[in-house]
Amino acid sequence: MELRECFEYFASRQTNGIVITSAGSTSGMWWKITHDMDRAFYLGASMSMISMFGAGIAMGAPKLPVWVFMGDGAFVMNPGMLMVERDLNLPNLKHFLVSNRVYNATGAVRLPNVQRNDYAAIARSVGIERVYYFDSLEELKSNFDTVVIEPGYTFTVLEVEPVREKAGGVPVDDVELKFRFGRYIERTAGIKIFRHPATEPVTGNKTA
Amino acid sequence: MPNKQEETTQFIVEQLVKSGIKLVASLPDDWVSDLIHAIDTDKRFTHVPVNREESAIGLCSGAYFGGIPSLALMGASGLMTCVYAITKINYSYHIPLFLFTTLRGAIGDPRSHHISNGLYLEPLMNSISLPHLIVDEREKIARIPDAFKHSQVMNRPTVVVFTEPVLRGEA
Repeated sequence: MELRECFEYFASRQTNGIVITSAGSTSGMWWKITHDMDRAFYLGASMSMISMFGAGIAMGAPKLPVWVFMGDGAFVMNPGMLMVERDLNLPNLKHFLVSNRVYNATGAVRLPNVQRNDYAAIARSVGIERVYYFDSLEELKSNFDTVVIEPGYTFTVLEVEPVREKAGGVPVDDVELKFRFGRYIERTAGIKIFRHPATEPVTGNKTA
Repeated sequence: MPNKQEETTQFIVEQLVKSGIKLVASLPDDWVSDLIHAIDTDKRFTHVPVNREESAIGLCSGAYFGGIPSLALMGASGLMTCVYAITKINYSYHIPLFLFTTLRGAIGDPRSHHISNGLYLEPLMNSISLPHLIVDEREKIARIPDAFKHSQVMNRPTVVVFTEPVLRGEA
């Protein structure tokens, strides 16, 4: 499956939910396709932390769908994150592992143990029940509602070809992105994020 | 009747409540294990044990966008591993983050494997301009809400660093 066609399909099915992308090709491609600065947070050079980042949002905004697109280069740095995700089992968190078997953004150098890594098996081994694997767009489309629309935490491997085209960066200022993304969540999920602590005490939302 | 350490632990917990903290992500250091147990059994918090300290940084940074005031609780060694995560996520995007850690390797710590923390934790925090409050006497525990508020005002991480005598209720 090509990353571009995969992401174009996801973008066509996105409603009010948010997307978080990791370094390199996932961020570059999502930006290239959507130019979204409100429903997407491009956590560049984040080295495996985006699913935890997404989990934090999902806990506070339990009705907001949270899609996390993590490259396998990031995943191999911290597969233990899946244990935390399984513990949390957040119904609105969908973790997509974009597997291209290389560090795509930094010269397409191969990953360690590349031919033997079975990401779906790793996920199952920590007790994640809804684990999926798709290497064709047709399979993804035919199972999309089950995997993505039905509530419940899922871990899905999207096996894609390494991106040949230069995905490019995301030409968005980090702080502007913070506020646009945060304001979108405030509007959509009805929660308060930004306060001036001098005048508005931090009371916080309940966790899911 | 609670002993001094239990009283101190409860005092710290109450400062977290006063700060508005709802979520705690932790990975233990034996100095803070009592505190973690107290948080884990306190219904006022959601406690998430994490697999590594960077996961706590990620979770708490995301929780900010979920409107959940949070704490990343870890030992000194853990904080030493988090420089990239903190500078990349929290500094780049101006995301507040509140951390507790321990002043391991300080004079009085019998564990020689914490020598590097004793030598480098404070210089490290200074080198990345990471605001921190060293709690080396019980009275300073009451400043925890101020430290939390500082992170929110400045849109940066703030660290509260505990000495062992304070955590044991001996200082």
